[in-house]
Amino acid sequence: MQGSPYLCDDSGVTSTPPIITARNLGLVLGQGEARVTVLDGIDLTVSPGETLALLGPSGSGKSSLLAVLAGLERAGSGTLQVAGQDFSALDEDGLATARRGRIGVVLQAFHLLPTMTAQENVATPLDLAGIDGAMERARDELIAVGLGHRLNHYPAQLSGGEQQRVAIARALAPAPLLLFADEPTGNLDHTTGEAVADLLFARSAAAGATLIMVTHDEALARRCRRVMRLEDGRVISDTAA
Amino acid sequence: MTRLSWRLAWRIARRGLDWRFRGLRLLAACLVLGAAALAAIGTLTGAIDRELTARGATMLGGDAEFTVAARPASPREYAAIAHAGRVSAGVRMQAMAQTLRGDGGAVPIELKAVDAHWPLYGTFTLTAPDGTTRQAGAPVGHNAWIAPGVADRLGVAVGDHLRIGAADLVIGGVIGDEPDRLGEGFALGPTVIISAEALRDSGLVSTGTMARWKYRVALPQGAAPQDTIAAFKAAFPASGFEFRDRTRAAPGLDRFVSRMGQFLALVALAALAIAGIGIGNGVTGFLEARRGTIATLKILGATGADIARVFTLQIVIASVIAIALGLVLGIAATPLIGLALRGVLPISAGLVIDPLALGTAAAQGLLIALTFAAPPLLRARAWPAMALLRAQIVPLGLPWRALALPVGAGLAGIVALAVLPASQPLLALGFLGGSAALFGVLGLLGWGLTRLAAHVPRPKGTIARMALANLHRPGAQTPALVVALGFALSAFVVLAGVETSLDGNIARRVPARAPDYFVLDVPRDSEATFRALVAHNAPGATVRTVPALRGSILAYGAPAHMTRVADLKTIPDDAWVLRGDRGLTYADSVPQGNVVTQGHWWPRDYRGPPLVSVDESLIKTLGLHLGDRITISLLGVERSATIASFRRIDWDSFGFNYVMVFSPNAIADAPHNLAATVELPGADRTPAVRRAILSSLVRALPASSVIEVGPVLGQARAILAQVGVAVLAAASVAVLAGLAVLAGAIAAQRASRQYDTVILRVLGASGRQLLALVLAEYGLLSAILGLVALGLGTAIAWAVVVKLFDFAWLPDWSSIAGVLALGLALVMALALGGSLAVLRTRPARALREL
Repeated sequence: MQGSPYLCDDSGVTSTPPIITARNLGLVLGQGEARVTVLDGIDLTVSPGETLALLGPSGSGKSSLLAVLAGLERAGSGTLQVAGQDFSALDEDGLATARRGRIGVVLQAFHLLPTMTAQENVATPLDLAGIDGAMERARDELIAVGLGHRLNHYPAQLSGGEQQRVAIARALAPAPLLLFADEPTGNLDHTTGEAVADLLFARSAAAGATLIMVTHDEALARRCRRVMRLEDGRVISDTAA
Repeated sequence: MTRLSWRLAWRIARRGLDWRFRGLRLLAACLVLGAAALAAIGTLTGAIDRELTARGATMLGGDAEFTVAARPASPREYAAIAHAGRVSAGVRMQAMAQTLRGDGGAVPIELKAVDAHWPLYGTFTLTAPDGTTRQAGAPVGHNAWIAPGVADRLGVAVGDHLRIGAADLVIGGVIGDEPDRLGEGFALGPTVIISAEALRDSGLVSTGTMARWKYRVALPQGAAPQDTIAAFKAAFPASGFEFRDRTRAAPGLDRFVSRMGQFLALVALAALAIAGIGIGNGVTGFLEARRGTIATLKILGATGADIARVFTLQIVIASVIAIALGLVLGIAATPLIGLALRGVLPISAGLVIDPLALGTAAAQGLLIALTFAAPPLLRARAWPAMALLRAQIVPLGLPWRALALPVGAGLAGIVALAVLPASQPLLALGFLGGSAALFGVLGLLGWGLTRLAAHVPRPKGTIARMALANLHRPGAQTPALVVALGFALSAFVVLAGVETSLDGNIARRVPARAPDYFVLDVPRDSEATFRALVAHNAPGATVRTVPALRGSILAYGAPAHMTRVADLKTIPDDAWVLRGDRGLTYADSVPQGNVVTQGHWWPRDYRGPPLVSVDESLIKTLGLHLGDRITISLLGVERSATIASFRRIDWDSFGFNYVMVFSPNAIADAPHNLAATVELPGADRTPAVRRAILSSLVRALPASSVIEVGPVLGQARAILAQVGVAVLAAASVAVLAGLAVLAGAIAAQRASRQYDTVILRVLGASGRQLLALVLAEYGLLSAILGLVALGLGTAIAWAVVVKLFDFAWLPDWSSIAGVLALGLALVMALALGGSLAVLRTRPARALREL
């Protein structure tokens, strides 16, 4: 991580090399009759510090694109550079290592580890990245998202909004360069969703992370600087918000 | 690429560990039972082996034993034996003991005469009426040590008098511990130990008497008993002696121990196979349930190696705790099995801690757990996080190439641990191969059922359609369920088949028509007296007499190139007729209950060359043909006869049956007596008639001895019953493991169905509909697996009973059906019971837990 140009260059988004460069990304899932083309020739460049919303109807491929960009899914074709690493050349373990400390992920279904407390959940990526004082940093991060009183609660003992706030704290705890969020408010009511979105933007801005968010909520998308629309696995528009 | 340190891996692993073993209970239960079974059985077989080795000389009464029937050793023979070391000479025979009170009290006994050197090894003790014991040696003069059975039957105590033959004896004590009792073999009556002097005075022995002379030798330090025996055999090839050494202290017992040992080893392997499936299912289920967690850890940056470290630590911690508990249970169970087998096998009932057996059991349990953990962990390494999350719907392939090394090494380790320490590695290997084949057959059946369910026309009824779909839809665990249920149900059938067959054999030990007495050593010139005496006391009694001699086979085969027994390196198991001396007789006509199957019987008053008629089973065993010759040693003299016929013998008739019946001119001139059977009419089977017969026999024919058939049958039945209990106790361990597998497999299946059940509930399915769905699915599986288990289980039980134990296959089909029905009912109960819990839960709460 040390020595990466993204940590020391905050002079402007255009003067630094892109943090994500994707060319002709393709993804096909299933076989035979169940074969579906999920992504079809996606080109994308994202600059450090940018906030990007991926919009589109269900099945448009936006969540799959986010999974590929985050290294959670391997593209079937095309090339992908993320934070200076060639994701298309990495194997599974290489992708996992590449995510450590650089990439945070928040998913719609929270995906907290059910047998760990909120604090342990947040400490886990820090431990995986070999960062010292994981539990202390996890506590601080949870206090920052307003859950200082829920440190020792298990996921099943938390509300949906609280679980998503733990997920955000967990994603941001290692101070990542990139934060991916897939429908982060999709499972929450309007008010809670608003609060979580506020938190997400505020915390990622504070951390200086690039935020890429999948949503079908136009209002939420407008809070990003850039909006990319997908349909049938293709980009149909890419505009500044 | 930085790898997660073990310290950090442990920190993450510890967070994921549930100290109530939630999610790990099946794994823990199977490991506890598997380790307990392996530890208990390993400890037990080890203890038996060590006991036989350590106490061999004590059990035998010497380092080597030389036995000859119907005659004492010649001076040259005795000198050769005495040359090897210190000798204790003795005689063992059937006899009658009577009281001198004049009340006619008499009891058939096993008479053991010993010299002053007895016992060469071990400690003989006498028991006082208050239960205290004192050490003693051989009785002196006319003193007699009597077994408690003699005291009970005759109502005599220490200080009272007894008459055996012509000798009047004083009871000097009641036998407590007789060090060479196990080596003496099956007793046909309670024992009385007397001195050589008392035996001489009894007048019971003369040449041709049905007695066995035993010469036991304590060899100098470092001398090999096998060498002593070999030297004697070389010097006296035709002597007809039988030999044993301290390494085979009790051949009969040795054979039995070896059979029991084989059975216990098979039970251990069965427990290993069944527990292995349970442990494997447990580990797989544990890791499958954590697939989401694994995916999340990958999302957070964990590599495949990191994940392997975290979950290996969790599995090892859970395994170590469960195995430790299993070992404790195994150690505790060993004395209980020992207690059940006390008197049958040479094992003490105390606590035994056998580090090798415990270490092997622990290593096997851990190795199985880790081997089964490899596939899900390597799959997690090979597939992306999102693919892992989708795996419920889109099953992931296994990375076979990456799996080959860890799984291959694990399986090789498990097989090596099972086979290398086994006394019969080939048997163990064969059994493991059979288990693997069974595993394969059941796996194939599971796969076939899944395919069949996917292709049969869809039923119209909703419940039937859904039940059928449950068998083949993505994420269905039908193959795993079929293997686990198939193994467990087959184990139940095996147990029921073996158990009821042993019961059947025990019941058959009471023949419909058995004589009441065997009488030995009736002098030929007293046959009329004997018959008159029986007729006087029981006028309707049936008496049969046959000439009774003993001799051993020295050589057999075609006259030009006969096989000498002394030259055989090993005697095959089924050629028992070649071991030691056998009962011989001669007759003018075909014995009752025998049928000549080849050749011809000699005419009455035949005077040609000596002939013999032989049991037809020896055609195959020894490769005999009509016209071949057999040479026997009769009272130290070689005699030969030509095989004139083969006979089929009904061994179950429980009368006099002889493998070899000679023409009278072949052996009738040797000194011998008669043996007789007495069968009382039902009305005469009263204590008064029995007492009168015994008392008049012992008075008129003091040298004759009587064997009461009833108590002997009782003793045989008791031993068989004890074997049955031991078999049941040992096999129960495997069945317990089977139960755990059954419960675990159903629990795993249920967990994977919980989501559907909750959703169906939300969609308005009634409790009855949901239960009907479970009933339909498991009913279908149970019906098919019940039939499969009946077939497979019966075949295995047959092999155990017939091939391993040499017993008749006498299963009680209604019991087997009952046990199988119970097993199937258990399957249904576990399946329905699990679903009831979900039905009681409110859907909203259940949804939140999903």
